[in-house]
Amino acid sequence: MTIDPSDDVLPRIRAEHVDALAAGAVLLGSGGGGDVSVGRQLLRGLLRDRSIEMLPASVLAPDTLVVHVGVVGGPDVISERLVDPGDLALAAQAVVGHLGGRLGAVGVIEIGGLNGLMGVLAAARLGVPVVDGDLMGRAFPLIDQTTLAVAGHPMTPMALVSPAGDTVLVATGSARTTQALLTSTAVAMGGAAAVALYPTTAAVLNQVGVHGSLSACLALGTAYLDPRAVDVRTMIDLLGGRLLFDGRVDEIRPRRGGELGCVTLGDPVTGATARVDHKDEFLAVSCDGATVTATPDVVVALDPSNHTPLRTDQLRVGQPLVVFALPPLHDWPAEAAPVVGLARFGLDLEVTR
Amino acid sequence: MTGPPRIADLLLDPVLQGVRVVAGASGTESVVDDVHWFAGDLEGVEGTLVICAESHVSPPYRLDALVRRAQQAGAVGLLIVAGSVHPLLSSIRLADRLRIPVLWLENTDPVRLMQDLTIRVRAPEQVRARTVERLLRQLSTKRNGSDILHAAESVLSVRLSLVTSDGICILGDPVDLDPGLHLDQPVPQRSDHLLVHPVLDPDVNRLAAWLACPFDRAADSRLDVLAVGLTMTEPFVRSWLSSQRAQADRDQVFQAQLLSEIITGRDSVSRDVVEGAVSLGWRLQDWHVGLHVIADRSALPAERDRVTKQLIAGLDRQGVPVVTAVNRGDGWALWTSTNREPAPEHARRLLRAVRVVSAALPHDCGIVAGIGRPHRGPSGLADTLSEARDAADLARSHDFRPAVEHSDELGVARLLATWQRSDVTRAFAESALAPLRDSTTLLTTLRAYLESGGSVILTAQVLKVHRNTVTIRVQQVRERLGIDLDDPSQRLALQVACRALGV
Repeated sequence: MTIDPSDDVLPRIRAEHVDALAAGAVLLGSGGGGDVSVGRQLLRGLLRDRSIEMLPASVLAPDTLVVHVGVVGGPDVISERLVDPGDLALAAQAVVGHLGGRLGAVGVIEIGGLNGLMGVLAAARLGVPVVDGDLMGRAFPLIDQTTLAVAGHPMTPMALVSPAGDTVLVATGSARTTQALLTSTAVAMGGAAAVALYPTTAAVLNQVGVHGSLSACLALGTAYLDPRAVDVRTMIDLLGGRLLFDGRVDEIRPRRGGELGCVTLGDPVTGATARVDHKDEFLAVSCDGATVTATPDVVVALDPSNHTPLRTDQLRVGQPLVVFALPPLHDWPAEAAPVVGLARFGLDLEVTR
Repeated sequence: MTGPPRIADLLLDPVLQGVRVVAGASGTESVVDDVHWFAGDLEGVEGTLVICAESHVSPPYRLDALVRRAQQAGAVGLLIVAGSVHPLLSSIRLADRLRIPVLWLENTDPVRLMQDLTIRVRAPEQVRARTVERLLRQLSTKRNGSDILHAAESVLSVRLSLVTSDGICILGDPVDLDPGLHLDQPVPQRSDHLLVHPVLDPDVNRLAAWLACPFDRAADSRLDVLAVGLTMTEPFVRSWLSSQRAQADRDQVFQAQLLSEIITGRDSVSRDVVEGAVSLGWRLQDWHVGLHVIADRSALPAERDRVTKQLIAGLDRQGVPVVTAVNRGDGWALWTSTNREPAPEHARRLLRAVRVVSAALPHDCGIVAGIGRPHRGPSGLADTLSEARDAADLARSHDFRPAVEHSDELGVARLLATWQRSDVTRAFAESALAPLRDSTTLLTTLRAYLESGGSVILTAQVLKVHRNTVTIRVQQVRERLGIDLDDPSQRLALQVACRALGV
């Protein structure tokens, strides 16, 4: 079932890949990125009678226009109000319409969480290939935490489309203003909206994008669903992950305003203690006071009883929890640290990997 | 000299008042060599207590790393000076695991704390010098006993009490005197939880009381400061005791003078005397019942005073409110006043109450009491006190203590006394008791037996022997004398004979 991008035959995403893709997106969400179940259902429906071409940026013609498509808004709204793939298509078309030219492929904004599926969904609707890659390599809360932004590429023109078909187009804008407009427009549109942004060319993506993240996501999901993964440790091995802590949730200090949320885990056997700092996603894990992993690495918190990856809002006191890190999909340059590193989240920690 | 303090010592030191141990309590026995203000680096903090401001633990996750780093750097503890921040459970767990105490102090000026703590740890003798100076300044303006103790308490940050050697609390909270202390020796002493310092009698070089200072635990240096503090407080307490005593003595003299004027003036007391009596709360026009109390086996005046006070308190509990006690040289004049004439049975009740109370007092003080009959007015007071004194004189002639007599029974006693002194009686006694002359034991037993109204049990109690012994002895007496002791006339004659011989 694994898709090898090095195959001569151009790889396609089919209905049978949907579950693995969704599972991989959840793992890469690092405890955030929203609930993927809506996206999974929609994708399953759309792929019932067709498949989508998944192409690495390197394969596409260098001047191919790629627009990145996803949804923006509150996870609670999105989980209750179905996303219309038509809105995603409308948003992409609005950007293309503003720029002129022809849409060559759809890009995935963030591979973690729901948006990992939204790019594929938009591509299916628009009948264009989806680029095997993304801009974040995991899930991030802000729209400028991308490889393109780090490399200095603009996120505009940006289009937002509401379920009622209202379209807002931001032709140009600074990163800060665009983020503010994105948030306030999503609120005005009822808490969530379809968004298309970061129009670029395949050549640029080939240069600065995160490569192969869709196929990596599929591979992770496939490993996660592998029947050999009878216990958590075997599963972590199959995923190529690094076990950080195995214990129980002892205290949850929830987020308050801009303050971080902190979860204290304890190992009743050894007495060891761990702390997981989070905002929308898990940001850092410290074991016995030493920070062992931190963003942009991907942290997965798993309920060992049913192997379900848990989001930050799903943790409960007393719950058994296994925390592990996944190998990063992207090697972020040092200058990206202020954008995707701990400092961006207001965390002051010294990481000892 | 004293060694460096442990963290647990500092926790109870006034410098860290209000401190909480939020984690790592098992490491509080570590010795603190120095204190270190944390400004981001932890170089050279081995053996020190690291003090850090709120900014280093806010947001709270930062404490985790700090605990770990401090432990790795060899610090013995962390003292956080912070306000509303609550440490995370992970920090608490980590500190517990690494056994590094995390102390939390709110609402403290860190600069002041740092200064005080540095001096406390590095130069305990400076703390002592400062305390001495502050204490002296505070005490010099205090005149009253409780003010003196409060001033010393606030400077030394401890609770102080003034107690007697038998544990009675004079000032402050009651304290449990450790039986391991040698309270018979007037030297400063220390037990596990108590520091005591003798307060000497203002007049003679004897122990008057103890200044007691309980503590939970403290470093040697802190105990030194406390000991010096007690030494400095003692002369102030002694001086207060002295002034108290002078005041009490003045009152006593005034009362004694007033009473003697009433007794001599009888119903024609002067206006001054009445005013004086009113100012003391004496209602001269009421009915009075006098008591004369002598504690003839107590050598020390102070002890006699105390015995009298205990007697008054005891009578009060028995429902006999005593107006006052006036020292009349040969004993204490006490009286009760009522606005109505006491009922006839009052005399019995009073006699009983005095007997009960004096029996409850320590036997070695040798209480002797006489009770007068009720009389009215100032002259009545003089009469009843005079009767009470006579009754006390009679009671004093008994060889048992406590002895209490009521003047109602004195008529008989006087008659008996006359008989006893007559030559005829004496001659009869010599011959009648001749068979017992060689045995003092039998004579004493006979006298006690007759005085007890023929009760074997009472006799046994008085002589402190078993009642079977008394029965056997009485049987021997009967045999030797050949007299029927059940015959009232025989008994009377023998009793008079015994008294005449002064057995």
